[in-house]
Amino acid sequence: MVKVDGYEVPEGLYYTKDFGWVKVEGDKVRVGMTDYAQKQLREVVYAELPGPGTSTTQNEPYGTVESVKAVSDLIAPVSGTIEEVNEQVQSSPEILNEDPYAKGWLLVIKPSNLQAELANIMDFNQAVEWHKSLIKEG
Amino acid sequence: MPRRIVIIGAHAAGVDAASAARRTDRTAEITLITEQKQAGYSPCGIPFVLGRHIRGFDKLVVFPQSFFRMMKLNLMLETTATNIDTENKTVAIQDKTGTQKTLQYDSLIIATGAYPFVPPIKGREKQGVYVLRTIEDGKKIDQAIENSKSAVVIGAGLIGLETAVACIERGLTTTVVELLPQVLPAMIDADMAKIVRNMLEEKGMSIITGKGVDEILGADRVTGVSVAGEQIQADMVVVATGVKANTELARKAGIAIGETKGIKTSLRMETNVKDVYAVGDCVESINMVTQRPTLCQLGTAAVRQAKVAGANAAGGYAIFHGVLGSAVTKFFDTEIGVTGLTEFFARKAGFEIVIGVITSKTRPEYYPGGLPIKIKLVVDKESQRIVGVQVIGGEEVTQRINALSFAIQKHMTVRELAKADTAYAPPLNETWEPMVLAAEIALRKLR
Repeated sequence: MVKVDGYEVPEGLYYTKDFGWVKVEGDKVRVGMTDYAQKQLREVVYAELPGPGTSTTQNEPYGTVESVKAVSDLIAPVSGTIEEVNEQVQSSPEILNEDPYAKGWLLVIKPSNLQAELANIMDFNQAVEWHKSLIKEG
Repeated sequence: MPRRIVIIGAHAAGVDAASAARRTDRTAEITLITEQKQAGYSPCGIPFVLGRHIRGFDKLVVFPQSFFRMMKLNLMLETTATNIDTENKTVAIQDKTGTQKTLQYDSLIIATGAYPFVPPIKGREKQGVYVLRTIEDGKKIDQAIENSKSAVVIGAGLIGLETAVACIERGLTTTVVELLPQVLPAMIDADMAKIVRNMLEEKGMSIITGKGVDEILGADRVTGVSVAGEQIQADMVVVATGVKANTELARKAGIAIGETKGIKTSLRMETNVKDVYAVGDCVESINMVTQRPTLCQLGTAAVRQAKVAGANAAGGYAIFHGVLGSAVTKFFDTEIGVTGLTEFFARKAGFEIVIGVITSKTRPEYYPGGLPIKIKLVVDKESQRIVGVQVIGGEEVTQRINALSFAIQKHMTVRELAKADTAYAPPLNETWEPMVLAAEIALRKLR
């Protein structure tokens, strides 16, 4: 894992410019919100997530996350069908702040077009560069 | 069609209004317009960057560009709103290239802030004379401090003194000139101001009160100022004589301005024109004690108003209860706070009052590290309600200001405060909470 100006960017994940991360786990992917996003939103108070069985489309919103300061759409990093939803995030949304890359995961998706869609999003190295540019633009 | 919300201004008030609007309406098109190059930073932090407590001006950015993207807020930097047409519900804008455009709105929020007021002192146009409002101003002053050995600050209000403290911390010979007879004249009473003044003088600040600056001296560049015939040498001058509400655009659009020269609003922060809201330093607020209009111009008031206006502009419902003017600051190691009315302003508002003053310590005598703390309680004689408090101390001032702000808002009487339940442990507090002791002293005078 590297830290870009205090924001964690773990290796081995894919990232979207909508502040999402993707972890490939066999034929499924686990998705969540980046450390940068949770730090910008500050204390998360509510996460609205769809139920299992719902389909997602890459770049389309699938839910929202609300904090004391802000509200932001959650944008699907890949297309597919939701297999699991992190219920703990709904009962204790603060885990999104505490552990955005592990306990704070949001969905497990069975992707429908993974290889093609992964090419549309950023790998670790690209994500590090992108985080640097975010910090630079202020 | 999604609701179109236009917000003029993109600092504390504007951005918080946008956040509240987004929370209320997830699909609205929200546009923020600002003349400045940078949005969403904390101007209150600037003096503390000057004093090197904060590492760099870019640290003051509370809402970076990515925040606006995440919230789907359309931010237009270096863009000026030139006209509001309330009839057709449009705002005319012009960007830095001179391109003009018209934005249609369903709801409009005016968060145009305030601008520094520079009195017509002879020589005010000279090089080396600064005001402090924006990050750009801050950067110029930072550079000037770097190249100066001495500074004069005109005005001993919060910003003036915070800047003067920063100048001392950066090693400059610093003089503050205040026209009124005390420091912090709009914030605290003369007796409390004396404590602040003595402390600042001990730290090396020269303070002149009750006298104005006749002239800023120097050919093209500042060399000093003349105060009642006396010349004070200075390589730089900062004018901090207060701010004025920026109401020009609103006034032109026929929006009502109140007696305090701020934009008048309803409890929902709506102006006299339907669907046009106003928040922050440009609006008039209601003082919760006097129930009279006041210009509050504090960041906390701005964000509270913004939350209300944002929700209402997006079709929600919220009301703003008014202000107490609760404020705190820190000069060197001393914290100074106020909430509600000072003795001076309470008497001016027609209250008959009694005062409870206590000087105590923040920890028991036997526990090392305790610091002095002084509390001045202002009580209305008739109702026995607390109407104002000032606190000066070495630590834990803010928590007491907040506690007493709640007390005033809930109409607590001094009798209730004298019996209030408080917390205690030797490293943290005295057994007898100083606020309670101040209440007992005030109570004795009511018998």
